[in-house]
Order: sequence, then structure tokens, then C-alpha cells
Amino acid sequence: MSKSGLTISLNEVLFYFTRAGFGVKAPIGVSEDFARSNIWIAQNGFDPSECSLLALDNLDSQKSSLSIQFEKSSDGSRLFCPEDRILSAIEASVSCVDWLEFNGLNGGLKVTNVDCPLLVVSALGANQCIGIKVSWSDKSNNQYQVNLNDDTKWEIIASSDVPIEQSSYADIQISALDGTNKATIKNGKLKTFNIADERLKTLNNGVNVGDKWPEIYEYFSRCLVKSSAESRASGAGAGLVDTD
Amino acid sequence: MSSEAVLVDKESDFMRSPEKVMRLDRMGSSFPTRLSFMRTLIRRMSKENWKFERTLRNVDKDGYGVSVYSAITPHRTYSLIAFTQEIPADMRTDRVIAEVWDATFSLFDGVPAQEDIDYLANNTPLQEGGRYRPSELVLARANKSLRVFENIISSLATGVQPDLELISSVGYLMRTTAVYGSGKFGCADRAKIADREECKPPFQIELLAVYLIRWFTIDMVEELAKERGGEKAVQLDQKTRRFIGVGNSTGLGMAPFLLKHPTLIHNWVVAKETALARVRSIETALPGTLEVFLKSLLQVSQHVDEWNVADEVQSARISRLTDEIQALRMWCEDESNICRPYPWNGIYQYVEDNFSLECQEMIVSLIIEPHGTLVDDLAETMSTTMIPKFKADMTLSHLKGVVADAYNWATTIDFSLEESQHHFWYYSEDKLEPRFGSKGVDDGVDQEMPLAIGRDVHDLNEVLQGIDEDMPIGEFAMIHPQFRHIIRRIQNTFERPYSEVQDNLLSESMKPLDLLRFKLAFFGASKFDPKSDLWTRISMYQGAPLPDQIQKSNHDCWAFPIAGRSQSYPCINCTCQKAV
Repeated sequence: MSKSGLTISLNEVLFYFTRAGFGVKAPIGVSEDFARSNIWIAQNGFDPSECSLLALDNLDSQKSSLSIQFEKSSDGSRLFCPEDRILSAIEASVSCVDWLEFNGLNGGLKVTNVDCPLLVVSALGANQCIGIKVSWSDKSNNQYQVNLNDDTKWEIIASSDVPIEQSSYADIQISALDGTNKATIKNGKLKTFNIADERLKTLNNGVNVGDKWPEIYEYFSRCLVKSSAESRASGAGAGLVDTD
Repeated sequence: MSSEAVLVDKESDFMRSPEKVMRLDRMGSSFPTRLSFMRTLIRRMSKENWKFERTLRNVDKDGYGVSVYSAITPHRTYSLIAFTQEIPADMRTDRVIAEVWDATFSLFDGVPAQEDIDYLANNTPLQEGGRYRPSELVLARANKSLRVFENIISSLATGVQPDLELISSVGYLMRTTAVYGSGKFGCADRAKIADREECKPPFQIELLAVYLIRWFTIDMVEELAKERGGEKAVQLDQKTRRFIGVGNSTGLGMAPFLLKHPTLIHNWVVAKETALARVRSIETALPGTLEVFLKSLLQVSQHVDEWNVADEVQSARISRLTDEIQALRMWCEDESNICRPYPWNGIYQYVEDNFSLECQEMIVSLIIEPHGTLVDDLAETMSTTMIPKFKADMTLSHLKGVVADAYNWATTIDFSLEESQHHFWYYSEDKLEPRFGSKGVDDGVDQEMPLAIGRDVHDLNEVLQGIDEDMPIGEFAMIHPQFRHIIRRIQNTFERPYSEVQDNLLSESMKPLDLLRFKLAFFGASKFDPKSDLWTRISMYQGAPLPDQIQKSNHDCWAFPIAGRSQSYPCINCTCQKAV
């Protein structure tokens, strides 16, 4: 199971990513949301390990933080990390969804210095937040805009060929999607996703995970307890040999 | 996020309260009912006239090789691919950590091509060590009950029916030790099949696999007897065939599932409790139903006589149950006790006031049984597609109120006592086997599974006491992310009052066995045979019709079966009621 190049199920995405989040000391409730976001990623044809490993690595090395604060100023609303660290997308994603549920999209929301923008998008998608535009310019100056149009469709507009799952370290702007801001990146490349079709494909074919999967599994395996002779003999209650 | 209506008739005087029902001691006294998932599946098979075929048998003289057994529904085919092999006796174990099994199975979605069988031949016998595809719906394995398996083959080979007493004492030829579905090890996710009519009720596809495994075990012994005895060999007689079930050994893996799916559990329990309430609310008994019930008391006495276990605690409970059923029969002989308004409520109330939980729960099953027309529709309500959502716009004052109203059982536990936090649940690195540890004794407290519902609610409640009530929960969760999971749980369960086990699951006295029996009874399992506080053996499909019996009028009459009887007591819901 720790090998790369596997095809896994959505249930396995839920199982392994929840515990991978827990493995880097994210609270279990946040880890559950992280896993749900990864299901959305997988359902849309992406490799969830490719999208999420950086966020797990950053949290594990304490390059990023789960600490988050909200402030409202004349510029609008903002979520940010109050420490001198990167804001972990694992926390930013759940806080964005919470904020939108509570406040709606009035005035938009900025999320500052997030490591993995696609994780924030996926949390919004997983929670069926629609009529929303998410845009950012990353550390390599690649620009992305994601339009979560409705229940059936979403789209990516990108300024470069760099896959969106590799885009990292950005200030994200979340705002209402309307007729005037559907495509703000000049000459951007558009990719449209039909949610039902992508989901059906995933259910019929499984989720392919590539060379970053073993590292996800490594984080997952931190939730496993070493087996001893005693726990092996007594921890599950049943005997070691059954000759019935 | 999907949401579902919450169907609880809170006004009914006859609904038992969650505080009564969702307690470990009562849950650990559960019996199957006609709403149990195996019963639902068999009724569908009969109603839709499913066909069954053995489409491949490529085995040697000892029965080792590959076979395929298919169930053909009106819309599609499901195929059980069975691999059999010889294994060393000292490697035969019921544990998850086993490495080899007498038989291993994949349930294939459709008709497998040779390349599918070849692929699975390299994977299915490895079980957790193999990888599976969305074309595989279920993965399972089973070991022989050696004493029964060989005895039956020897008898049939010489033209003699096997020793019924031996069969009755075990109840099956093979015992499954795991049945995995829902995306395990790469198998199809539940979402792939959830919209299919035959898969909508819970666990139907897993229980179809088990049904086919049972057929496979019976077919296997008959074929091996023929191989050994030639023309002298006979098949099992119809009554014995029908009595033979398939065993299962269930350990801790089932308990976390139960705790992680509160909405589903609510739906199961509310369906059963609604069925009971509907029956208790009948003012005048429907024609024939009291007669059926009285016969069923006799039947169940015989069934309990055949329920023999080594476990001392369960033995004592069975012994008491025997006496109580006898006492109830005598009470029922006085017509004034039952021929009065609301007879079912009277019977239930008498049993609740006088007899053990084991007897109370058995009587619940028995009084529901003759009322199929009144309750079978509830089987359609026992699933869920709901994904629990964190509701950031709830206020803390609302949350505090909910905790106070619905979680009093948790907030009043004294978790400062050592015995209140004695246990913890964890996954072992040994094949991810779920284990139950003791603090201060076992390693792994830091990797505890998040199943301590009562303790987490208790801790949340403590923190809530000092917080500004106007604060939105989203903001609270930013400051206290460690409570996010338990808040989400509370938000999604407080309107579903049968969601939670209302006991401390960490307590020193807690027995996971109670959770296992509760869940297994909903599956339709019988003859609970505890082997410790952590695992139990059971029988499944004992008394159920085999594929060639599925169209018989008594296909639904197999509650509390007796060895050597072709059917259970007469049921008024099918044509076998003529015997009433």
C-alpha cells in the first residue's frame, strides 16, 4: 500500500488522508475536512497526493502553521496567520468555508500567504460553495482563476502550463462570480470540468496516485501503533490459532 | 452536502426513548428482526425472481481451485469468484492478521472475463495484501469448520445424511473472518452502486457475497462427497441444506464503524423502534397474528435450546432466557392477558417489567415478526447518503443548549476517574488490525482513534461554559480547532436522537462485544457465540432459503430456525400462513 503508482478508491482517500493530516498533528476535525477536500480533488481527476503533500510537509516541518486570524479593514476581510509563518492550506481551507457560510460573499475575502491554493479551492468545491471566483498569483508569478460556477460545472483559467496542483505560496482572493469577472487573466488557458462526468469516471476507474503517494502513506502510518507480543496476543481478543 | 429528513415520531407513546435503547447492555442483547438486512435481501431475491448459476468449477479432487457463482438480478449479474487452497492447520486463525485462508472470495460486478479471473487469482488469495479494482465490490475469506466439514463429506460420500446434532452445534461449514466492501483495498466505492435498487438498503452487496459464499460451501461439500463416494454419494436433504448457515467471526473492526456513522445508526434504530411502536399501537390484534406469536414462543424455545455456547456469561443469559420464555408462554395461556385492547403493548410491557434484557429484545423481534405488511416499508429508510457538515453559522448558545439537552449522558460522566478513561482504541501496524488498549499498560495512547465521543463532548462542554455565547461557531473553531470534529458530530446528531451510544466507551467495564452484537443483529446474524469481550462468532443465513428454494412460499420464514425443520414458524406474510 505504500508503493507509488497505485489506483485507490475514494474511501481510501478519506481513510488515508484523514490520518495523514492527523499524522502532522492537525486536529482530527480539521483532518476530516482535509480528507473531504482531497476526495473532491480526486473526483475531478487530480492526484490528491500531488496536491496535498506540500501542505503536509510544511506543517510537519513547522514551516507553516494552523494558527489563523480574521480581520476586517477598509480593504475588506482577510484571513491570515498571526505568526511569522506560512498559513497552512489545511487550516485556511476550512476557515474559508466557515467564513463564507457565516458571512456570505459580501465584499470578498483575502487569504494571505497560503501554501497550497488548490486545497482551498477544493474545500469550497467539496462544500458545494458555488457562484464563486477564486484567484491568485503564485510565487512563480503564474496566475490562476477558478470559477465554481454551479452544481454541475467548474473551470480553471491559467496563465501558464504549470499544473494548478503545483501552484504554491499565494495570496488568494475569493469573491462572487458574476458576468464581468469570469475571465480576468488575459489569454488564459481555460479548462472546464463537468462534475458529474468526472465523478463517474473516478468511480469506474479509481484514483491514480503517483510518486508522492509513499510520502502520504508515511504520514498516515504515524497513526499506527507498533505491535508487541502482548498487544498481538490480547489487543484483538481472538486467539492466534483457530482449529474449530 | 446532502441532507435527509429526520423521521422520528416523537409524539408516539409507544416509541422507546433513546435513553432506553442506546445503552450498551440493551444493545448487547439485540436479536435480528424482519427488518434485518439479510431478511430484506432474501425478500428482494424472491420478489424479483433472481436466478443463480454456478458458471465455473475448475477444482481438483480435493476441491482446490477456482469457482464462480452468479446471482442474476433483473438488471445485472453479480459473480462470486471463489479460490480454494490447502493451508497448514496452525495457520488457520480468525484474526485480521492471518496470512492464509481455506477460501478467498471476490464479488465481481458483472460476468468476469478470463483475464479478470486471472487477475484476481493473483490478488484475492492475498486478501489485504492484494489490490482490487472498481469492478470488484466485495473481498472476503473463510475457513473451514474442520469437524463439520469433514464429517459431512464422509457421511454424504457413503450415502448417509450427516449428524444433525453436530451440524446444529456449529451451524455452518465455513466461517468468514472478514467481508470487506465500500472501497476497501481499491474495491468499488459504495457511491458506484448506491443508486442501484438492490443496493440501496445497507450492506446488501456484502450480504449478497455472504449468501453466495454459503451456497458455495454447501455445493462444495456435496461435490466433494460425490468425488469421494461416486454413485453411493447423496446430497444433503432439503431441510438440512436450508438449516446450514455460514459462520462469521467478528472482532473490533466493526465497532469503529458503528461509532463513525451516527446518522446511519440512527436510521437503523429508528426504523426498528418505529416498527415496534407501530405494533404496540395496534388496538385489536390483526387476524391470526396472536396465534402466530404463540407458536413462535414454542419455536423460539427450541431455537434457544440449540443455542449452546462456551462463554459462561452468555450461557447464563441463555439459561435465564429459556426460563423466561417458558414463563411468558404460561402467562399468555391466560387469555385475559392477551385478549384485550392493545395486546402487543400489554405483552411488551409485561416482558419489560418482569424479564431480562435478552428476553425483552427477543420479544421485540417476535412481536414485530407477524406484521410484515405493517413494517416492511421501513426497510427502505435505513440507509443514508448524508455527509456530516460543519455548520459555522450556529451560535454557541445554541450549541450549549443542544449539549445540555442531548448529551447529558456525556457531560455527567466523571472523566477525572481513572476507570472512566481506562481504554482506548487504536490501529495496529499489524495489517491495521483494530485493537483495544488499556492506558498505562499498552502503547499507543497518542494515536488513539477519535471514538471517545462522551469524553470529547464532556471536554467541549467544560470550555463552552466560559465563552461568550454570541460568538459564532466558526470563530470558536478557529480558536479551538481540537473541537471541530465533536461539534460537527453534535450538529449532525442532535436531531437524530438514536445516533449515539449513551455510555462511556472508554470505561473499564465497557465491552466492545455489546457493540458487535448490536450491529450484527441488524445484519440478521444469530447464535451469538462470544469468545471474549472483544470478539464473537455468529451464524448468518441459518434457515434461509438456498437459491433453489428462493421462490418457495416460505422464503421469508426463517427467523429463529431449528435444526431439521424446513421452515420457521408459520408467518402470515406469505402463503405458508395456510398452516396457521
